[in-house]
Amino acid sequence: MASKGGKQSRSASGLSCRKGAGDQEEEEQPLQAVLVADSFNRRFFPVTKDQPRALLPLGNVAMIDYTLEFLTSTGVQETFVFCCWMASKIKAHLQKSKWCRPSSPNTVHIITSDLYRSLGDVLRDVDAKSLVRSDFILVYGDVVSNIDISQALQEHRHRRKMDKNISVMTMIFKESSPGHRSRCEEDDVIVAVDSKSQQILHYQKTQGLKKLQFPMNIFHSGSEEFEIRHDLLDSHISICSPQVAELFTDNFDYQTRDDFVRGLLVNEEILGNQIHVHVTQDGYGVRVSNLLMYDSVSSDLVRRWVYPLTPEANFTDQEGHSCTYSRHNVYRASGVSLGHGSQMEENVLIGCDTSIGANCYISNSVIGDNCIIGDNVVLDHAYIWNHVHIASNVEIIQSVICNKAEVKEGVTLKKQCVLAYDVVIGPNISLPEGTVVSMHHPEEEEEDDDEFLSDDAEVGQRSDKTKQKVFNPAEVGAEGKGYIWKASSLDDTEEEELSQCLWGLVLNPDPESDSEDSDTDDPDDPVIPSPEMDDVKVFHMEVLGTLQRGLEENISCDNLVLEINSLKYAYNISLKEVMQILTRVVLEYPFQQQGTHLTPSQYVTLLLPKWAPVFKNYVKRAQDHLDCLSAFEEHFLEQESHWAAMVKVLMNMYELEILEEEMILRWFSQGATSDKSRQLRKNQGLQKFIQWLEEAEESSEEDGE
Amino acid sequence: MELQAVLMAAGGGSRMTDLTYNTPKAMLPVGNKPLMWYPLNLLEKVGFEEVIVITTKEVQKAMSTDLKIKDVKMKLDVVSIQEDGDMGTADALRHIQPKIKTDILVLSCDLITDVALHEVVDLFRAHNATMAMLMSKAHEFTETVPGQKGKKKTAEQRDFVGVDKSGKRLLFMANEADLEDGLSIRKSIMRKHPRMLIKTGLVDAHLYCLKKAVVDFLTENKSISSIRGELVPYLVRKQFSKTVNSQKLKDDTDDQTQEKNDGPLLISSRDEPLLQLAQERSCWNDHRGDMSEAYHGGKLRCYVHIMDQGLCCRVNTLAAYIEVNRLAPKLFEEPSVHPSADISERCQMGSDSIIGAVCHIADKTSIKRSTIGNFTTVKEKVKVTNSIIMHGVTIEEGCNIQGSVICSNAVIGRGADLKYCLVGNGQHIEPEGKREGELSYQTEQPN
Repeated sequence: MASKGGKQSRSASGLSCRKGAGDQEEEEQPLQAVLVADSFNRRFFPVTKDQPRALLPLGNVAMIDYTLEFLTSTGVQETFVFCCWMASKIKAHLQKSKWCRPSSPNTVHIITSDLYRSLGDVLRDVDAKSLVRSDFILVYGDVVSNIDISQALQEHRHRRKMDKNISVMTMIFKESSPGHRSRCEEDDVIVAVDSKSQQILHYQKTQGLKKLQFPMNIFHSGSEEFEIRHDLLDSHISICSPQVAELFTDNFDYQTRDDFVRGLLVNEEILGNQIHVHVTQDGYGVRVSNLLMYDSVSSDLVRRWVYPLTPEANFTDQEGHSCTYSRHNVYRASGVSLGHGSQMEENVLIGCDTSIGANCYISNSVIGDNCIIGDNVVLDHAYIWNHVHIASNVEIIQSVICNKAEVKEGVTLKKQCVLAYDVVIGPNISLPEGTVVSMHHPEEEEEDDDEFLSDDAEVGQRSDKTKQKVFNPAEVGAEGKGYIWKASSLDDTEEEELSQCLWGLVLNPDPESDSEDSDTDDPDDPVIPSPEMDDVKVFHMEVLGTLQRGLEENISCDNLVLEINSLKYAYNISLKEVMQILTRVVLEYPFQQQGTHLTPSQYVTLLLPKWAPVFKNYVKRAQDHLDCLSAFEEHFLEQESHWAAMVKVLMNMYELEILEEEMILRWFSQGATSDKSRQLRKNQGLQKFIQWLEEAEESSEEDGE
Repeated sequence: MELQAVLMAAGGGSRMTDLTYNTPKAMLPVGNKPLMWYPLNLLEKVGFEEVIVITTKEVQKAMSTDLKIKDVKMKLDVVSIQEDGDMGTADALRHIQPKIKTDILVLSCDLITDVALHEVVDLFRAHNATMAMLMSKAHEFTETVPGQKGKKKTAEQRDFVGVDKSGKRLLFMANEADLEDGLSIRKSIMRKHPRMLIKTGLVDAHLYCLKKAVVDFLTENKSISSIRGELVPYLVRKQFSKTVNSQKLKDDTDDQTQEKNDGPLLISSRDEPLLQLAQERSCWNDHRGDMSEAYHGGKLRCYVHIMDQGLCCRVNTLAAYIEVNRLAPKLFEEPSVHPSADISERCQMGSDSIIGAVCHIADKTSIKRSTIGNFTTVKEKVKVTNSIIMHGVTIEEGCNIQGSVICSNAVIGRGADLKYCLVGNGQHIEPEGKREGELSYQTEQPN
């Protein structure tokens, strides 16, 4: 609904913009921002199985609130929030927040779709819906920043004016030397910049590299001074010109911003687009891209580096969230009770109505609301979210404990442990370094590959599974609940990578050491379009997306064909595969829209004859017909319950002249390869249809004579 | 004595053969002074008392007769080497190694600069550097050069010089010609110096402060023959070489054995124990952002002072020679006309011209933006603009000379008209000759 509202207001303001054409008018346009509230990766798994990353609490405030506060304070008046994973939760959160109050200076439009797979998809959608009118700010939902970008914005606009829109993007960096705690190893970049113009000439991620190569052509720009900078921390905030969205549309292979930057730099000479940097020395701008960053951003926040975004500022304007600030950066919300002899050493933030027992020692920690902590508890660098119960004699070091988790007596959590939602640990157990415990079984993960598509359906299945599997008391304690997400399971290397990713790579003080080399894989690669993934699968998704968009936006079939063709070349798909995938996508489409409970007649009507021209374009040769039919057969083999609809679909296709009778007969007679397909052919409806076809043929032959 | 000065004056001037055909490069007149006088003057001004001059026999002979050189009060220790011996600058250093007792300051005879020399030496002292050098923004030549039609294409390969944030520490040095596969920098260097400025368009002034250990190293490594071409790049690279640094750390314990085994190790400066102690005890650091010790424990350090103002020019091409002739006299406050010159009162002379000793300038002449050498005779109605006339030249009546270089002992015939020409040593230009953009030297008229 909100997205619709957004559209309306956009078209209204679009009109007003047209009225007042001219350069001056353009500058007065409200500043817009695109906020991507999805990371498109699984770095925070299994935590993000229950809560999207943008809503994870950081200093007891959801991360997306920091991002929105940053945007608002920097002068953004209209923000488009794009959600995909758990979109409904983000939407609910935003609707409750101050951003959706009528008094908010920043109008927030929420746009959700399950089809976003990457930043590229989001920006392509921005372009398709033509949401942006002028320069806009692109930011992720997990960025914490207080950078004042007005200067950068001015520079950006100035450059665009001077150079006729050559500069398309200004990336905001924060100066931070390589050894700094807030440097994210996997986000390490090396940037070559023209000293005078601040134009980016070369941009490279340095993780795992020992030597940095700079192609010579970047030095041919006529400038006499270049800078090679390794002291920059990418804040993941960028000022984009409207062309950015168009460029993403033109280049359907751009998935991430890195793809985009790389693509532009490579094609600079051809397209003439330039990217510039803006380096801030005193601002704070960091993306929480893994738990290590979570740790350092949290402590920076408590240490007031993100001023004016401090815990006691209560900028989200939620009731009961105000807290007091006292010496040594100790913050206490209302209703906190502290037992006798307990110490809050320094850099401690405690949420409201949390009670802490006697003789506790707490330092460098954040504790959420409504937690109960027993006696003799030691917390150091512990991040405890809401409603957590911690019994007595517990020691927790540099770990994250999610909502409603319970830690029983005598438990020790070593460094970098994660207890996901609702986990129970203990009593009297010590978890080794880097243990990740979740109520979700790690194997679940593999079973549902595309949890993106149907998470609603999954929830039911999940509870069944958890009943079947038993918690291992040796791992989580006698009364424990939860499964260990093993960091070193030998049989599954991918799993290993995932668990490592949670905390990210530890800063390595010695660059020459070998340990750095062990993590050569770039975990930041987006999950979906990584090259290891089957091209065919990606193509499948893309076709699905294309057709869906076609429906939503009423794109003509000719254009759809064009798009599918370009996809075909992009992923190097043979014509035969195109045929099969297209058929399957079309046949599966109704299920995805309406769920699996459809009556045959509903199913057939949903299989819109709209796409008939698309089919006709592809189904030409005899072989095409057979390919189409075999895909058709495959589909129905999987969906036994819908055999009733099968004939109707076939009939439909026949009537629409997609399939020729000859071919249908040939397919039918060519015989079955498996028991099931033999069964399929024995289906009454189908037999009748075939019979009818045969008769029709005979009669037409007779007519011919 | 803190530094020993070494002047390299044996170069043949291979890039300006038109001029050095008969006069050795070191003795070419610039503002009526031999070229090598300028670096000597630079050294004298800052208080050097002794200079080792490496040169050829020919130059040595010329030096002994030159008045200007005789004026130099410093003690000149002239070492002559064979001209055709194909000796590089590093070879020359090796040759005089027995004379070297301390750290050295090496400079080339073709350097004309008004640099405050202490800038370079201070870098050398302050950081206890292995090498400190001088660079300057490249000078753009504005004058038309004889014999060159149109603007000279700057097809020369650029030098890439990488310095750190302060602009002093030299981190990287390479020539474009060696960078065909792209510029490659080790990540560990970037970690230590996260912000590197890569500059092009700099000229190396060929002025180096070097530790004595470097000279000792040269005697061990006979393969290095040129300071600029081989030694300097080697030193710059070695700054970050792991073996030097890490082994040097162990040095304290087994000092002697290490140094004997490893030739290149000698190159790192031997910090006096006191200096080392001072560094340990001091909280001073040369960088920010990480907690490692000053210089990241590196013992070999190269620094560069980049001039952004003032004159710094190397006279190694004809274009530079002409340019410098125009600029150099401005560096010194001397009367533009030598007292012994005989100039007619009816001569129009611009203030930007120089007339050498024992010159005869006749009536109705006009001399603008030019240099006239010693023992030169300029007859009536001669017009000289933008030109360099060397010593003992005779210019007959009614000549018009514009933008040209006339070498010593040439005779220009009556009424000749020369535009952008170079007239070689002892050449005769026929009367009424008209030339434009020509080079004429000995080939036409054997000695």
